Amino acid sequence: MNRVGFLTLVGREVKRFLSLYNQTLVPGLLTTVLYIIVFGNSLGSRIGPIKDVPYMHYIIPGLAMMNVITNAGANSSSSLIQAKMLKFLDDILITPLGGLEVSLAYILGATLRGFLNGVLVILVGMAITGMSVAHPLEALVFLVVVGWTFGAFGLLVGIYARTFDNIQMLMNFFITPLVFLGGVFYSIDMLPPVWRQISLFNPLYYMINGLRHALLGIGDTPALGSLLVSLAMAALFTVTAATLFTRGYHIKE
Amino acid sequence: MALAVEIRDLRKRYRGGVEALLGINLEVPEGEFFGLLGPNGAGKTTTIGITTGLVRPTSGTVQVMGHDVVTDFRAARRCIGLAAQELNFDWFFSLEDLMRFQAGYYGVPPASVKERALQLFEEFGLMDKRAVKPRELSGGMKRRFQIARSLIHDPDILILDEPTAGVDVELRHMLWDYLARLNREGKTIILTTHYIEEAELLCDRVAIIDGGQIITTGSPAALVAGQNRDGLVLELAGDGAAAAAALDGYELTREEGRLTVTVSRPELQIAEIVNRVTAAGATVQDLTIHRTTLEDVFMSLTGHSIDA
Repeated sequence: MNRVGFLTLVGREVKRFLSLYNQTLVPGLLTTVLYIIVFGNSLGSRIGPIKDVPYMHYIIPGLAMMNVITNAGANSSSSLIQAKMLKFLDDILITPLGGLEVSLAYILGATLRGFLNGVLVILVGMAITGMSVAHPLEALVFLVVVGWTFGAFGLLVGIYARTFDNIQMLMNFFITPLVFLGGVFYSIDMLPPVWRQISLFNPLYYMINGLRHALLGIGDTPALGSLLVSLAMAALFTVTAATLFTRGYHIKE
Repeated sequence: MALAVEIRDLRKRYRGGVEALLGINLEVPEGEFFGLLGPNGAGKTTTIGITTGLVRPTSGTVQVMGHDVVTDFRAARRCIGLAAQELNFDWFFSLEDLMRFQAGYYGVPPASVKERALQLFEEFGLMDKRAVKPRELSGGMKRRFQIARSLIHDPDILILDEPTAGVDVELRHMLWDYLARLNREGKTIILTTHYIEEAELLCDRVAIIDGGQIITTGSPAALVAGQNRDGLVLELAGDGAAAAAALDGYELTREEGRLTVTVSRPELQIAEIVNRVTAAGATVQDLTIHRTTLEDVFMSLTGHSIDA
């Protein structure tokens, strides 16, 4: 184990996204504020409370999770594809860092960006709407686990991808629909029965409702089940990404 | 003597079928200045790639300071500093950051390399560029930074892939002096080049590589002696045909009015050759002695020029 090397690479990943805060932290906050104002304020009064929670509060966990997922996923995928395309990945591949260490460092960096975005969205949401958090510790666990899951997913995407376009496509055609259909803006109880059943196959539905339970004390599914689904996805993506990276798939000749 | 690098039956077949290495064997003793000489596409970069962990071997082994580069990659890679052929840098960070990161990746705590980093910036004339990002550097500065950074973890072996490709004369000489000094101080240096002059000037030994095979290995002087191509070059008025006829029996090549007579100890044959040519009615306008170069060695061993 090359502990110094691992921590250095994590530090590099964190420093990278912090120095690019205009692309990595600010946009999520801005869209959150817009969503709360437009959806929460103007539409919320017509939709009314869901499970006794004001609509403006109801959407905050979903918005937080949306930011965790997109930011964690974008961090590892774009960081790796940049290193691949600009060919400075070699600087890391020649060092005494193993594939597992490099993978975990990328994932951890992405997790931290996702986590930070999630926390910021929740704080802004609390400041605007006056919402309070029901189970803070549970919320932190969900933010970390889901951040890790999509950090690992992003790494997988970064390994497969040959261009930036590959990444953009995956985000637009895969992640964004799953996030929206995972119940960011609604409870699946409001859907027709067929769509309700289909939603149960969307892992993001569990993650969003897990955080909803942590923040608001309500949710469409039990929190423990949500956590287990998230952990299973995290394990699946981590093992797959680290294995491919170690074998040098799309990484080494 | 202990070996810094030991390559056994190394083969590499790339996806798509290109056979880059056809089973090469190489031994580089510790402390040697070793050159891998060959044209583009000969297999130099693939050999370096496998030794440093960027390319996976198809078969065969490479040991670095006694450590296998696949099964014991951590120990092997700690011993190597690499200055690759291409100048690609992590463009988000300053040179100072990149120096610290690279030390860290090698397991050296960044705080403990502060002095060494400053010393390297100083030696490579980059002191005032420390806070700058790589893309703001000129090509020559990038090359200097790349070599400086490859030394940050004080490796036993420095590997340079075409270090002087595309650099100006001044920097080339600065690098040659620096590398010679590092070698005198005990570092094993392996460099790939297709500049014959560089190999002749710096290397204790060179391996000539072509088409994925090592053609021969030896000191530049021994290789030159083994493939003697010394001779006289005559510049003649006219096409030189008459002169060529007069030198029947010598090994000759004629291009327009330039006649090359390949002969050992050419300095002892000047009078004889000039007399014969003059007697045949030809006019010698210029005469030079040609000494065998590695280029000649390369040519006579592979049948083609190193630039081909």
